Amino acid sequence: MRISKGALLVVLAFTVPLIVELRTVLVWVNIDLSVLESAALGLVIVGLVVVWAFLPEREDDRQERDDDQTDGDVPNGN
Amino acid sequence: MNIHTYEKLWLVAAMVLIVGFIATITYGSVGLGITMVGDQQPTIEPSEISDDERFGEPRVEHVGENEYEAYVVAQTFAFSPDPIEVPANSEVTFYVTARDVIHSFSVAGTNINTMVIPGEIAEMTVEFDEPGEYGIVCNEYCGSGHHDMEGMLHVVPEDEFDMTELSVDADDELELGDEAAFNVSVENRMLDDLETTATLEIGDEMLEEELTVAGGDLEETTFTVDTTDLGEGEHDWTVAIDNYEESGTLTVVEELETDDENEDDDGDNGSDGDDDENDDGETDGGEDDE
Amino acid sequence: MAKPTEVRTMSEAGSTYIDAFPAEAKVVRAAFYSSFLALAIGGLFGVVQTLHRTDVYRFMDSADYYTVLTAHGVLLAITFTIFFLVGVFTWAITTSLDRGVEDIRFTWAWYGLMVLGTALVAIPIFAGFTDSIDMSASVLFTFYAPLQAHPLFYLGLVLFVVGTWLAGVDWFRSWLAWKAENPDERIPLPTFMVLTTTLMWYIATLGVAIAILAFLLPWSLGLIDSVNPLLTRTLFWFFGHPVVYFWLMPAYMMWYIMLPKVSGGKLFSDPLARVVFVLFLILSVPTGIHHQYLDPGIAEGFKFIAMTNTMFLLLPSLLTAFTVVASMEHGARQRGGEGYFGWLKALPWRDPVFTGMALAGLMFAAAGFSGMINAGMNINYLVHNTFWVVGHFHLTVGTAVALTFMAVTYWFLPQVTGRALWNRSVALVQVVLWFVGMTFMSNAMHRAGLLGVPRRTAEPQYDGFEFEAAVGSVGELNAQIALGGILLTLSLALFFANVVGTAFNGKSDSLPANGYAETLSGSEDAPLVLDNLKLWTAIAVVLVIFAYTFPILSIVDRGGLFGPDVNPFPVSLDTLPVLGLVLEQYVTTALATAGELTGSIVTEVTP
Repeated sequence: MRISKGALLVVLAFTVPLIVELRTVLVWVNIDLSVLESAALGLVIVGLVVVWAFLPEREDDRQERDDDQTDGDVPNGN
Repeated sequence: MNIHTYEKLWLVAAMVLIVGFIATITYGSVGLGITMVGDQQPTIEPSEISDDERFGEPRVEHVGENEYEAYVVAQTFAFSPDPIEVPANSEVTFYVTARDVIHSFSVAGTNINTMVIPGEIAEMTVEFDEPGEYGIVCNEYCGSGHHDMEGMLHVVPEDEFDMTELSVDADDELELGDEAAFNVSVENRMLDDLETTATLEIGDEMLEEELTVAGGDLEETTFTVDTTDLGEGEHDWTVAIDNYEESGTLTVVEELETDDENEDDDGDNGSDGDDDENDDGETDGGEDDE
Repeated sequence: MAKPTEVRTMSEAGSTYIDAFPAEAKVVRAAFYSSFLALAIGGLFGVVQTLHRTDVYRFMDSADYYTVLTAHGVLLAITFTIFFLVGVFTWAITTSLDRGVEDIRFTWAWYGLMVLGTALVAIPIFAGFTDSIDMSASVLFTFYAPLQAHPLFYLGLVLFVVGTWLAGVDWFRSWLAWKAENPDERIPLPTFMVLTTTLMWYIATLGVAIAILAFLLPWSLGLIDSVNPLLTRTLFWFFGHPVVYFWLMPAYMMWYIMLPKVSGGKLFSDPLARVVFVLFLILSVPTGIHHQYLDPGIAEGFKFIAMTNTMFLLLPSLLTAFTVVASMEHGARQRGGEGYFGWLKALPWRDPVFTGMALAGLMFAAAGFSGMINAGMNINYLVHNTFWVVGHFHLTVGTAVALTFMAVTYWFLPQVTGRALWNRSVALVQVVLWFVGMTFMSNAMHRAGLLGVPRRTAEPQYDGFEFEAAVGSVGELNAQIALGGILLTLSLALFFANVVGTAFNGKSDSLPANGYAETLSGSEDAPLVLDNLKLWTAIAVVLVIFAYTFPILSIVDRGGLFGPDVNPFPVSLDTLPVLGLVLEQYVTTALATAGELTGSIVTEVTP
């Protein structure tokens, strides 16, 4: 995993406003999407994020992920 | 106090942003003349609205070249007048007050928006460049029927706009041989003179008269028609000026009975006490004219 | 003098709040549960409204919508938020001063008074659903006269507010007692935050107290004939704006003292935190007129003053944004985060307490932007009283405050119950779901507001015209609102599952210790003047007098103290108007004197 599962959940949540308003932004450049197309595009984006998150880690990333298992638990005893 | 350099930069940027906001709004107000609803107007007793010079009869008035004033009353759950009609390419000042509770006067999708508070009069001046139709909503909760409170604002093309009122006073029923009189009065609530032609169509006859109604004035004219020329029977008539029409039916009979009350129909007829002898024709009298 | 703040104020390492303060923990827990009950009912009413308004599902008469809306507003904006915050503040005072309340009976007394007040308010509101009880209070959260509620509604509000005043007295008592024992110490940061917020609340609630006690309550009892709608409305907003800071300050407090801790680091700056709270004390109240930009009868100049104050209120929020993000970054780097943005990955995203607060803060940033639009006097005309405003405050009180409260609940519940949290994963999903639901709902509300769709309307569908969307359609916006409402309801259900689950969990011995974040730059860096509460209160009062005396004098002068003859309500007794006149003269004189006083103060200050 490239990011922790918690972080992935947050990233996915964060794509929601982007997907919802992407349609408005595209209208400025004269691309009209229907609701369905917009939703499909959203699914594709979400899919890409998930695929990326589950890609095997690169070597240099590994160190940052050491705390993956203990996220939020140890430093403040939560 | 120990403030981190980045935090100092952030502080300065925040102050610049704030001062910038205040400056743009000040510029909008002073430079561009965007005025707010304020306390320009005197207060008004809500219980005395009906007798008020401006709000007693809610309406639009023509007050200068391309300048209009609209006196609007909001009450549960309606606006009056409704619809409000103004011309395009005009400057309209709205004066709005409330009869009962707090309402708003808000033209959907525009920045024409004000609270309407009983006792206070909101004043807003708006420029209308283009014709269009807008909904007016009350966006302040005013009671259980709040969602039904709506009105319309019609901005009509300049050349189609007038504030003319036509009324016709005519007989309903006459004896053969009488003179039929059609008293036409034309009120012009605009400031400019109105030059127009009044026409009367009855039977095969067509009468015309040029009229000039001074601004803010009322002109009257009378068309007379000899009933002998019309003959016995029902005769539909129409008086028209510009886009306005008034029509009715004149019944010509051989001899009037004297003890019956007249019946009203759509023409404004007087209380001449005409008799009706042959009223069966009244309902189907439409065809023989024009 | 200054004691290093590195020393964390805590009773005993490893002990929870309930271990250290068992009696206080019970009050805090009771306050939390009261707040959650309000949240449950209010939240349920929320989804009923989204479905009704958008015409997705209507099962009640549209007239009842306003009763639902009144309950939703009062229960969530007043009951839920304030009950929660009195709990948090009591925790903050006792924890940071490391001493129990002076008299636990007094503490229970103010809690009881708040409960009683809430019950009295709720009775007439809920009676509005049935015709068999001749009582109603469908006047919404703002209760603008001449709409009139049952006297119980006003009475209940008064008792509730008095309860909060006594709570403030309780906190001040604790602080004064502590100060007597520790004369040279700086006020601990959490206590400082509580005290400044309480002072602000005392000033702010004067407005609503006068509105209710002098006008609305006597009017609803038939003692006076009429009221001046603009005056009571202005007094309401005197209170109505600062009340949002009363909700927000506890959320800010959590961002300052809890978020850095759960991020794994320390608060960036104690002095700046104090500056922020002092700014809120000073600037919160003299801004209320910005809710009245569109009111006829208030001069443009007064509105401009309110706007300037409002804009300067951006400053403490922008400072908070910096400090909070900086503290999070510090925490992330302590946890091994690296790079310009890479540190974000090192944050404890699995912790619902952290994630909930971080998402709440993020949404508050968005709310700040729509708030800047609202604050702009001229651009406000486009959005005033439209659905945009509803979108805005569902980001502020509905997310920045509510989501922060829910997130910290996951930390507080074990502290005040001694039981471990039922399920952390459910908690994480809950806070994320709230974010997603609110994104849909609030975004669509903002968009609909731009089209002119009004707020507070059971059926924003009109006969004569339709709202036109520039992109998409009104139907899509409605669908988004309904979807958002449903997701938020699901999120609430998960929240309550956790609250109930935790309550039935067994006692746990391995709970984290009570405490709050340490600081990087401590109170020894803060100038002493920051702790001079008298000075800041005096400045706040002067600013309030400056911002409000002339508008109120002008309103009274224009419309009379008891207003024009507006009441459509049956009223009695002939002697009372005379009494009214006397009172009117008396109060007008008092106000005029106050005005002159301000005048002289201002001239004195001006060189």
